[in-house]
Amino acid sequence: MKINLKTFVLPFQYNVDKSLEYYKILEKLLNRNEYFVVGKNLIRSDALDKCLGKANFTADYLSKESLIVKVFRSCKSHAIIKNIETSRAMNIPGIEAIITARDIPGINQIGYALPDQPLLNDTKVHYIGDPIALICAQNEEAAQKAEESILIEYEELKSVFDISAALNPDSPLIHTDGNVAVTTKIRKGNIEKGFKNSNVIIEDTYWSPYQEHMCLETDGAYAFPDGTNKITVICESQSPHLVREKVAAILGWKLNQVRIIQALTGGAFGKKDDTGPILAAYAALSAKTLGKPSACIYDRIEMFKTTPKRFPAKFIYKSGADKNGNLTAIQVYITLECGAYANRAPFWLWRQTAHAAGPYEVDNVAVDGRAVYTNNVYGGSFRGFGNLALHFAVEQQIDKLAYELCMDPLDFRLKNVLKVGSRTTCDQILDHSVGIEKCLKSIEDASKWKEKRVPIKNGNTLKGWGIGCAYHGNSTSRSTPDWSAASLLMNIDGSFIYRTGICELGQGSPFGHVKIVAEILGANIESIKIEIPDTDSTPDSKPTHGSRGLMMGGTAAADAAIQLREKIIKIAAEMLDCSLKLVECKESYAYNKENLNKKIPFNEIAEELHIRGLNPGAYGFYASPKRNYDEETGLGINYSVYTFASTIAEVEVDTETGEISVLKIWPSMDVGKAIDPIIIEGQIHGALSQGIGFTLMENVQLHNGNILNPSFKDYIVPSAFDTPEVDDPILIEEAYKHSAFGVKGVGEPSIISIVPAIVNAIYHATGIRFNTLPITAERMHKALKEVKK
Amino acid sequence: MKVELIINGKKCIFDLEPNILLLNLLRDKMDLTGSKYGCGIGECGACTVLLDGEAVLACMILAVDVDGHNVDTIEGLAEGDKLHPIQEAYLEEDAIQCGFCTPGFIMSTTALLKENKDPSEAEIRNYLQGNICRCTGYVNIIKAVQNAAKRMNKK
Repeated sequence: MKINLKTFVLPFQYNVDKSLEYYKILEKLLNRNEYFVVGKNLIRSDALDKCLGKANFTADYLSKESLIVKVFRSCKSHAIIKNIETSRAMNIPGIEAIITARDIPGINQIGYALPDQPLLNDTKVHYIGDPIALICAQNEEAAQKAEESILIEYEELKSVFDISAALNPDSPLIHTDGNVAVTTKIRKGNIEKGFKNSNVIIEDTYWSPYQEHMCLETDGAYAFPDGTNKITVICESQSPHLVREKVAAILGWKLNQVRIIQALTGGAFGKKDDTGPILAAYAALSAKTLGKPSACIYDRIEMFKTTPKRFPAKFIYKSGADKNGNLTAIQVYITLECGAYANRAPFWLWRQTAHAAGPYEVDNVAVDGRAVYTNNVYGGSFRGFGNLALHFAVEQQIDKLAYELCMDPLDFRLKNVLKVGSRTTCDQILDHSVGIEKCLKSIEDASKWKEKRVPIKNGNTLKGWGIGCAYHGNSTSRSTPDWSAASLLMNIDGSFIYRTGICELGQGSPFGHVKIVAEILGANIESIKIEIPDTDSTPDSKPTHGSRGLMMGGTAAADAAIQLREKIIKIAAEMLDCSLKLVECKESYAYNKENLNKKIPFNEIAEELHIRGLNPGAYGFYASPKRNYDEETGLGINYSVYTFASTIAEVEVDTETGEISVLKIWPSMDVGKAIDPIIIEGQIHGALSQGIGFTLMENVQLHNGNILNPSFKDYIVPSAFDTPEVDDPILIEEAYKHSAFGVKGVGEPSIISIVPAIVNAIYHATGIRFNTLPITAERMHKALKEVKK
Repeated sequence: MKVELIINGKKCIFDLEPNILLLNLLRDKMDLTGSKYGCGIGECGACTVLLDGEAVLACMILAVDVDGHNVDTIEGLAEGDKLHPIQEAYLEEDAIQCGFCTPGFIMSTTALLKENKDPSEAEIRNYLQGNICRCTGYVNIIKAVQNAAKRMNKK
């Protein structure tokens, strides 16, 4: 198909609403040589309660009278439910109710992208752990007895545990419309011509497995009746407003009959995006049915065995380059394993499709993706959202091409990386904020890369160095409109309440918002309190995912702060008897820049604001600039902006034991603008650890749909012992012009480049390539034996 | 069973079922919710408390088994408004993200610095390997322990 590229150039010529250029607006508005708090390292406001043991997580809110909601689950991986017998369980003392699908007053559906996932199953089960009933009990003992007394009559069906079996024409159908849940496609340039012009072609297949989030806090929700016809749920999620929408639909209620309060969340990494609405619905169903406070708190094993994991995916890659080291073409087939439900698969698969060339310019691209159901546990959101697996594959392809061309892998990347004016996988022209080249050069210098091009053999150890690059689109895919909101209220004493639906999950994003607000208002940062998200009062900021928490949410915060600032400045100018331009605010005082003698504290301004009848609040709203996208070709302005990252890893392999140690990491990232460098460094450190875990240790073991290692003991995540030396992260600031101060998302992109960096370093050290993860000592030992190293 | 414990320096008397775990006693009967449940089988360290000054896992101990002993939790560390130097160090080094593992880490650090006033980085890593953190990658936690040791040695 002929592509009319003109269509896709348009958005950069279309009259971008200048009012959206927050980067410039703020620079001009504040006119400060040095920002007060933006770019500075501060102690985050949520940390004090956390170090005192006073921070409240979901389970800390439970009342002693609370009922226990225990989920009764399928022990079959694929079966028809013929009958559910609960009467024996109901007679157990302490059991208040057994809730099944027919007791759901609203819609029995919790699927995220597709309506394929009942909250409680009554016709069929799709994986081991599929929910069937809720046991509402006064105590744990009764709940356990009831669990043993519920009888399900199943008609077993043949199960499918891998994608190739599921794609077999004779495969049993897991859902009625076939085992392929969704497909994606990109066609750019001329793939045949591209390969014809290639001097080297690398073809390979990669498999990226499940990963469990292992958030320290297990999933939980606590619901209680709030008068008549209203339920409040305290829970962890990544979007309280999505939880409200889902819970209201299940209860058959209006949105204003459900109140969701977001507790502090003990790690999320995407997990709570998916589990939040489900657990909230379980607890709310019990609270509504019985009129009593009800809590559903998973234990570690239940959480591990039944909740979504990182989607596994298979990539078949064919990549070409010419003899001068220019990438010429890529062809990619992606098969995503959904597991039992599609959940986020359509979005996940699309991200992989749209990023398939990696952060490089390739003129000829063909990508075909499909997401396939199996009877394994289903996949879901996880930090990196598709791009971790994708870059594990694409960055090895790039490395292999470089070695094949006898080029330095870093130089080869530098030659091909996206620059200003480059076109991405989906032909999006990048007109600014492209920092990957700077990232690469900065760590090339920091690591003294050129001196490390020869692997070192020392006794029975082999040492090598590898590099990985990454890019990650911020906010929604496929040009889907995205927006966020925030509200800010000035109290009469000059203090502020800040409200955002962007959740505190450990990443510190809401604190970043407050820094933005404090900078714009010139307010003392301690005078601004962040209200925990509460759907009764907090605006819908849309979810805390997609690398949008600070980029979108923080810009909505800026919008609110700009509005309130205007009023503060106006009143201050009158009180100071000077022009608006001369007013500056700092540390919650307003003063005349040319006459520093008189300072007016914010409490006086607040009082004046109220007396004069001026609205002391502001509602901030920010929508990302319009984008467009062609469904036929997959081409267009897919993402508002991209975050770029690169990492160099130094690894050592013990040839006797196969043990791999990551000795040192040099990370770099183009963050747009570092609102708080120390928090970004914290994100990078944590991502390195999680990435090392995924690459070398974490191994979800499945046998016929059963997870065999559902605990910290058997599913090993990195401990303090496994953390390498980390060089100071290098933060590149290629500002994004449509966000507050130019900020871009960092939490997700920080994990993506670490995985290929380690894998490529292992190759450098040993000459062995691994096409699947994790590379455990056992696998390494076996591979070394095969090549007799 | 009648059980007497000294929790954060205060004598407490309970009448307990013999199967009550120390973690549940602290959380449910004392409202000391700073100690967290993360795994229930002693693998994550989120429930670490001090038993007569030594770091133990409250999810692995029956309350009746520690009759007559001292139990110190995160809530007892600060003196009124005055933070313990370890808490100050965790704040200063940005060693806290989601905060769920933090009480356990701080209690383990307390025990470590009591045993070893000036631990090497390797000793810190070794001592803390029973505490799992999924957010920070341990980098700033290790810095915080070093920072805390300096603060406490100055005193």
